[in-house]
Amino acid sequence: MANINVKEYQPEARTTKNRLSWLWAEYSVIIAFIILFIGSSVLNPRFLDINNQLNILMQVSIIGIIAMGMTVVMLSGGIDLSVGSVLALAGVISVLALNASGSILVGVLTALLVGSFAGFLNGLMVAKGRIASFIATLGMMAGARSIALYIADGGSVSGEVSGFTAIANSDFWIFDVPVLIFFAMTALVYVLMHKIRFGRYVYALGSNEKAALLSAIRVDRMKIGVYTLIGTLVGVAAVIETSRLNSISSSSSGAQYELDAIAAVIIGGTRMTGGRGKIIGTLFGVLILGILNNMMNLMNVSPHLQGFVKGLIIIIAVVFQKRE
Amino acid sequence: MTENPFIKMQTIKKSFNGVPVLKGVALEVQKGEIHALLGENGAGKSTLMNILGGVHQPDSGTIYIDGKEEKMLDPRISQEHGISFIHQELNMVSDLRVYENMFLGSELRSKVGFLKVEEMCKQTHEILAKLGVDIDPKEYVRNLATSYKQLIEISKALLHNSRLIIMDEPTTSLAEHEVSRLFGLMKNLKKSGVSIIYISHKLKEIKEVCDRYTVLRDGELVRTGSMEHENIETITKTMVGKAISQERFLHEHPFGRVVLEVDGLTSDAFKNIDFTVRKGEIVGFTGLAGDGRTELFESLFGFRKKYTGEVKINGQAVKIDHPRKALKAGLGLVPRDRKENAIIKDLSVLHNMSLSSMGNFEKRGFIRDKEERKKFQFYKEALNIKVHNPRITIDKLSGGNQQKVIIAKWLEAETELLIFDNPTQGIDIGAKQEIYQQIVELAKLGKAVIILSSEAPEVLRICHTINVMFQGEITARFSAEEANEEEIMNYATGSKREVAKIG
Repeated sequence: MANINVKEYQPEARTTKNRLSWLWAEYSVIIAFIILFIGSSVLNPRFLDINNQLNILMQVSIIGIIAMGMTVVMLSGGIDLSVGSVLALAGVISVLALNASGSILVGVLTALLVGSFAGFLNGLMVAKGRIASFIATLGMMAGARSIALYIADGGSVSGEVSGFTAIANSDFWIFDVPVLIFFAMTALVYVLMHKIRFGRYVYALGSNEKAALLSAIRVDRMKIGVYTLIGTLVGVAAVIETSRLNSISSSSSGAQYELDAIAAVIIGGTRMTGGRGKIIGTLFGVLILGILNNMMNLMNVSPHLQGFVKGLIIIIAVVFQKRE
Repeated sequence: MTENPFIKMQTIKKSFNGVPVLKGVALEVQKGEIHALLGENGAGKSTLMNILGGVHQPDSGTIYIDGKEEKMLDPRISQEHGISFIHQELNMVSDLRVYENMFLGSELRSKVGFLKVEEMCKQTHEILAKLGVDIDPKEYVRNLATSYKQLIEISKALLHNSRLIIMDEPTTSLAEHEVSRLFGLMKNLKKSGVSIIYISHKLKEIKEVCDRYTVLRDGELVRTGSMEHENIETITKTMVGKAISQERFLHEHPFGRVVLEVDGLTSDAFKNIDFTVRKGEIVGFTGLAGDGRTELFESLFGFRKKYTGEVKINGQAVKIDHPRKALKAGLGLVPRDRKENAIIKDLSVLHNMSLSSMGNFEKRGFIRDKEERKKFQFYKEALNIKVHNPRITIDKLSGGNQQKVIIAKWLEAETELLIFDNPTQGIDIGAKQEIYQQIVELAKLGKAVIILSSEAPEVLRICHTINVMFQGEITARFSAEEANEEEIMNYATGSKREVAKIG
């Protein structure tokens, strides 16, 4: 019996205080969500109204879908700033394809294809070109927006095929379809990250890239996969965004989506440098942002001040998470 | 020598999360003595030193310096008392130059506040020269080999006019001639009245340089005394609570066919490397820092791509340019510097174990947690991995247990040949022994094994064939029976050299 007294994790030896701090570290975002939820119901009775609740879900669904992809990218130790621009580009091109072909399926597939191709290019730049993800996707952010503006001549493009708007504007049981898509994408990303080897490799890569490579993981391919995944999810978001109003603006659609998505991921407790974080955390991060927006509207907070509150919340979230 | 020791720690107690780590430990260090602090990993050495260095606060107990009671509330206070701590992990800023690192936080400035660069360079150069190191003070630290970084770290402590220097395993990445220089310097420091607390697992070193020793086991003081009248075996015995043999592992068995054949491998770090490894054979590679052996095997493993020459596995020529291809061809690598290269600290013990062989745990693409747990249970028993709950992250285990998990990972990958680079780096004696035993078992089962080590005694103990490298070339090849430490050193330092004949 050589090395006794290994500093092991011994749940029995934990005091109540330790147990509480563990609970906080693991589930701080859920606790914060519950506090915010209760606080909101007390502050404004209209908050609890079922229609308001469903409205919140509807409003977060697009950012939510993107935030799921962002979680994966950030777990791998990267970041994707191009999501908003790529959403506009995918939207614009898919509307053109939709109008030209008259087929909704073609329109949807085009959006997915454009999104995943842009993501694939990001992945290539990061993995093979060894460009820092911040820089590579910053370039893509500028480039994709520019091409969208060029194609749409700076304006908006509208769909001319009836039925396309049904995607985002119909509902199923009590839920709007975008909300269901958001839930489905969350479940999909959860399975990818926790049930198959892809997720395991992404965590490994984000935690220690060199060790992951020396464990015989195809690190480059994983990176390309991660950026392609978020690109595809942006394509899904683009379909909803476009279908909602049957048009997409090349200049304003998707603007600052990257900030909201990153904010949701950070609030959800994912570590900026990768390797640590949870899909479920991001889900609650998205909901927290949604409730904040909703409450500020219900309480007539000036829209100009809403950004300030959001910024404050992000910083507070990070300060608390640092404590663990 | 006064009756009053320079440093006296009394009945120090400390617990983490309700687990007692120190149970009333005492330590006395005289002025101008080199004091060895011994014990296995987890015995509480580092905690004790962190308390002295002001990093942790004791739950109870007192510290006297020059007979006066002092409280080490933070590292700053400890430094003001003249205590410097050279940590095992190197605290270097790799994007700064050597002299900038040396003076970080205590830069020399002229009256107006400008940095006195030349003066700092001069002092850096002088102090490094004392250690026999000749590097340009303006070189960036990132361009230096680990052993140099360690020497810089040591020099840094010397710069601060310390009265007590705590050295936590300072020699892990030093070559032997650097170690002897360090010892010379320590003896000089001693003469000038500086005390040193020396933590190491290498008992031979301790015997050579230390005056007195203190042994901790499980957070308790088990023995303290003068080094002079002790022999290494008794100390080892007190450390682990039983005797550990330093003898060669006997394992005579016939070798099988050739698994790996390397012919004329050359890159900028090594040249003309030829060797073969057979089934069941343990082949060692040793040499000083910078001999190119790590680069050689990282190239073979596909981590480095720029090399020429022929590699045959089971008679088939292969071109390996990615670790995945190495794995498929039947090579496994347990790398050196576990923390940087091997463990994924955010993944659990379980997931670290299965990482290189996910295919073994999948069914229609989905991971089966149950299989993972079952397999881990198997390795936990086979390798004696001490872990209460395999779902905790791997960084919570001790070094030896982490290494066993990494070995389990490669065993699970079922490669025909396993390369171990410094397999017992920073591991206590008990776990070391178990790892040697495991390696020998593997060879008996017919695996081909390659061991890279900077410690000649290590390869002498377990290898059938020993290759000595010097500046990127194999300068000698011995069979285990003909090799001895002295001969190995002769070839490793380049003072002797011969074209290797067939081993």
